[in-house]
Amino acid sequence: MDAPASFLKGVLGMIKTKKIGLHTFMAVPAFLLFALFFIYPLIQGIGMSLTDWDGLGRSNFIGLQNFFDFFKDERAITDIKNTLLFALGSAPLLNIIGLIYALLMNGKFKGKGIARVIIYLPAVISPLIMGYIWYLLLQPERGFVFHALELIGKSSWLGNWLGDYTACMVVLVLVNVWQYAGMTMVIYLAGLQSIPEELYESAKIDGASYWSSFRYVTLPMLMPSIRINVVTNIIGSLAVFDIVMALTDGGPGYSTETLSIYIMRMCYGSKTGYSTAVALIMFFIILIPVIISMRLTREKE
Amino acid sequence: MKTILKVSKYFLIVLICAICLIPFYILIILSLNTPQRIFYEGNMFVPDFFLRNYVDAWNKSHIGTAIINSAVITIVALVIILVFGAMAAYTIARFNYKFNQLVFWLFMSCMMIPGIINTVPLYTLMIKLNAINTLWGMGLVCATIAMPSAVFIFTGFVKSLPREIEEAAIIDGCSWFTAFWKITFPLLKPSVAAVIILNGFGIWNNYAQAVFFLQDSKKHNIPQALSVYFQQFAGAHWNLMAATAVIAVIPVIIAFLMFQKNLMKGLTDGALKG
Amino acid sequence: MKRLVAMLLSVILVAGICTGCGNSTNASTAAASNASEVSSKAEGHVNIKLFTGKIETIDLMNEIINDFNASQDRITVEQEYQKDASNIIKIKFASGQVPDIMTTYEQGFVDQGKYLDLSDQTAWWDRLSPEMKVDCTDVKSGKQYRVCTNMTMAGFFYNKAIFSELGLKTATTWDEFEKNLQTIKDKKPSVTPWFIFGKEAWHLGHLIEFIPHGYIKQQLGSIEAKKAMLDNDKAKLNFGAADGAMATFAKNLIELKTKGLINADVLTATSDNCVQEFVTGKAAMLSNGMWVLSSLTDADPKIADTIGFAPYPSYMPNSKPVVLSAEDSGYSISATTEHKAEAIEFLNYLFKAENQKKYSEASKAPSAFKDVQAKWASTNVVSEVNTALKDAVNIGFTNEKPAGFSGDDAGRLVQDLLSGKYTPETFATAYEKAWNDGMK
Repeated sequence: MDAPASFLKGVLGMIKTKKIGLHTFMAVPAFLLFALFFIYPLIQGIGMSLTDWDGLGRSNFIGLQNFFDFFKDERAITDIKNTLLFALGSAPLLNIIGLIYALLMNGKFKGKGIARVIIYLPAVISPLIMGYIWYLLLQPERGFVFHALELIGKSSWLGNWLGDYTACMVVLVLVNVWQYAGMTMVIYLAGLQSIPEELYESAKIDGASYWSSFRYVTLPMLMPSIRINVVTNIIGSLAVFDIVMALTDGGPGYSTETLSIYIMRMCYGSKTGYSTAVALIMFFIILIPVIISMRLTREKE
Repeated sequence: MKTILKVSKYFLIVLICAICLIPFYILIILSLNTPQRIFYEGNMFVPDFFLRNYVDAWNKSHIGTAIINSAVITIVALVIILVFGAMAAYTIARFNYKFNQLVFWLFMSCMMIPGIINTVPLYTLMIKLNAINTLWGMGLVCATIAMPSAVFIFTGFVKSLPREIEEAAIIDGCSWFTAFWKITFPLLKPSVAAVIILNGFGIWNNYAQAVFFLQDSKKHNIPQALSVYFQQFAGAHWNLMAATAVIAVIPVIIAFLMFQKNLMKGLTDGALKG
Repeated sequence: MKRLVAMLLSVILVAGICTGCGNSTNASTAAASNASEVSSKAEGHVNIKLFTGKIETIDLMNEIINDFNASQDRITVEQEYQKDASNIIKIKFASGQVPDIMTTYEQGFVDQGKYLDLSDQTAWWDRLSPEMKVDCTDVKSGKQYRVCTNMTMAGFFYNKAIFSELGLKTATTWDEFEKNLQTIKDKKPSVTPWFIFGKEAWHLGHLIEFIPHGYIKQQLGSIEAKKAMLDNDKAKLNFGAADGAMATFAKNLIELKTKGLINADVLTATSDNCVQEFVTGKAAMLSNGMWVLSSLTDADPKIADTIGFAPYPSYMPNSKPVVLSAEDSGYSISATTEHKAEAIEFLNYLFKAENQKKYSEASKAPSAFKDVQAKWASTNVVSEVNTALKDAVNIGFTNEKPAGFSGDDAGRLVQDLLSGKYTPETFATAYEKAWNDGMK
């Protein structure tokens, strides 16, 4: 009789001192939605990774065999290489370019609103069509860029980038940055807007140059935005799909195939259980850089 | 010196804008060519100004319905993300409950899991919930997908706001919950704008999930309306597809330009702390 | 608190409106999406779903469906079309949400018993050509699990004007073929003799199905070839042999590339490039199927009267030219449908001669029904195709590919070959390995 009563008393006390209140449960709605539509299917999906299910009928438990098979497959290892190289180029570049855009767009100038809208614009077009447009632009010997360069007599600058692995990766990275830098810019702009003017003013009074005030005022205050962008860009770059499909189809052959494309092809190619296992492996591949960058951008109180 | 800097800054901005407009330029050129146009050989830069494409595109693709569908789905999903996501971020950022930590790390981890792993079980679940072919069902799925990144962004921003601003209200008798709506949420305007822009377009242009959950052609969203132009072996009708895409983009641009004024005002107002 | 209530109310309101939108539109179109949902409650009304990947004929099908729906009030048919139908159907099967009628057909699904046995639908088979019944027969069980209403052909489309100008005759052997190409290159250096759009893996995959598989199909006969592929009979297929069909095909292709008889940008060219080059006379030959006719006539309406069509020349010793003459526009009924009679009733309506005539003309594919006379293409094309069909061995698509090695995958191997990753011999062994791996 005593224990429940004193428990109740304790809870009431906590509510009064505002240790518990409605705010304690504010994460619940998001969690419930997520648990139903993501976690629950995910658990079933993870179960699939331990089977040899072909998406149709038979499904036998094979333990970790899928995971072993993955690392024995030469095509899979190439895919990991492609994915990592792509992300290594794309993620830092997205951050740098996004920051530059944001710094440019931050001040007050005429047409600021329109300029910002224009920069997000590449992301407004459906990726279905965007892919085709990119190829129309960049197709060796037939595309817009080739014809434009021909007009100024420099058509050899484009060359056949599809025929050379390095050129291919460079083009893919550049296109990805071009398309998504606006997104990075938005986060940085939001972050820049929330840095109070007074900090810059007091820095100026203390005699700071543009670069020092950037280093000592802007960057530290921008840490939350940097953290968000770094993590988001790492995840996005490692999971790249549309851009590669549109420009190279993972080719020629499988030379520029990335992990997400591999997973999709396996899933529909009767290796559905296997593709789930690869998805889990991909999760770990993404996890490591993300944890590292979260550590590096931790709030220094 | 200052003028040179200013001019080169302007020049850079104009250059960047021009580059970003290239895809649209091409889209418009494609939409204005006749089907007979041989443009790989000829002048790729000047179209035929064949406006009938737009009429045909409108009739063939039911893009009007598709735009409304995409809009409803996007609005439903964004409202859910903003309300649930901001609420969750607030409590995660301010209070160190074990549950909150669990939720945060759950979201973080799931951001890194490729979506395809969910497809079959999620599809079965949606059937059980009778949510196939409904706009609200699609909205919920899109909200779920966007939730982790929204929570991540909001948490970062709430953490950068000092706790004192709510504590001041608490002392005056407010509850933490009310303090969130009265004080914190208005200050989150920059991140709200960021979340809307980052996730809005993904939801607007969602194809990967729409293909499973919106089967009825009357419920098709914009990418699905565009996919009627693709054939298996015979290529696609690029001129009609481009016209459809342009039609679909116009309301977005208009909404954006209108929104932009208020948004930017909101950004600067909300960010200045007295 | 007020803020919260206001917010929650608005969310509920929005959600409610949307549910309302969803439901009212649902009700008005009676578009019940679950085949498993028992919809034959009130008035015995039945809703059935037709799932298709054939985008080209959506509008016509909708017309026919609307006519059918209007002509009676017991059954409502609804068409769901998807660009990636063959992938989507896999997910549908996996979740048990199967459409009543579908156009997607794969050996794997047959083996799993997903389709209804249609062998007893004599009303249909009697009206179809005997070859069609053979084409639709599942080799393992001897039964028919789909019915196809049209045929389609594939071969070499060529520019008759260039050929007659240079005094060329269509080739029956690969040597003659190469000589033709070389003549075109020598006399008309600005024209690509054979334009291959290798960026699109399916196109290269088709070349494999028509040329090397074509040899196997003609040597073994259609049924034996299908059996050999299903059983992965190495002795008969012999994919990896250094002098076999695969290696020789690879050797020939590389030779054409080295001699400049195909377009140099084979790995980056798209089908749009191909169509445009052909209609402007910059490409003399292209390999494709009848499905490309609409793109060609869109680009140049007059081309239908001047285009030539020829079979694939023979390239192995003791063999003949082949031309693809395969089933197209097939319909299968789900084995688990609750509305078998209604599905058949709809198909009966669809198969009526006047509807099939319209369909054949819209899809540019000759009808397989004996009682349908349709003008599916220009007189010139029809006569060219009929000549090719007479002069060459008719072969079909390779439907018996392993589930894990699609036509696109084969095409990607050819891309690797063309980019120098393989020699003809290593290509053959790589192909065999990929085929074997795909069977697991």
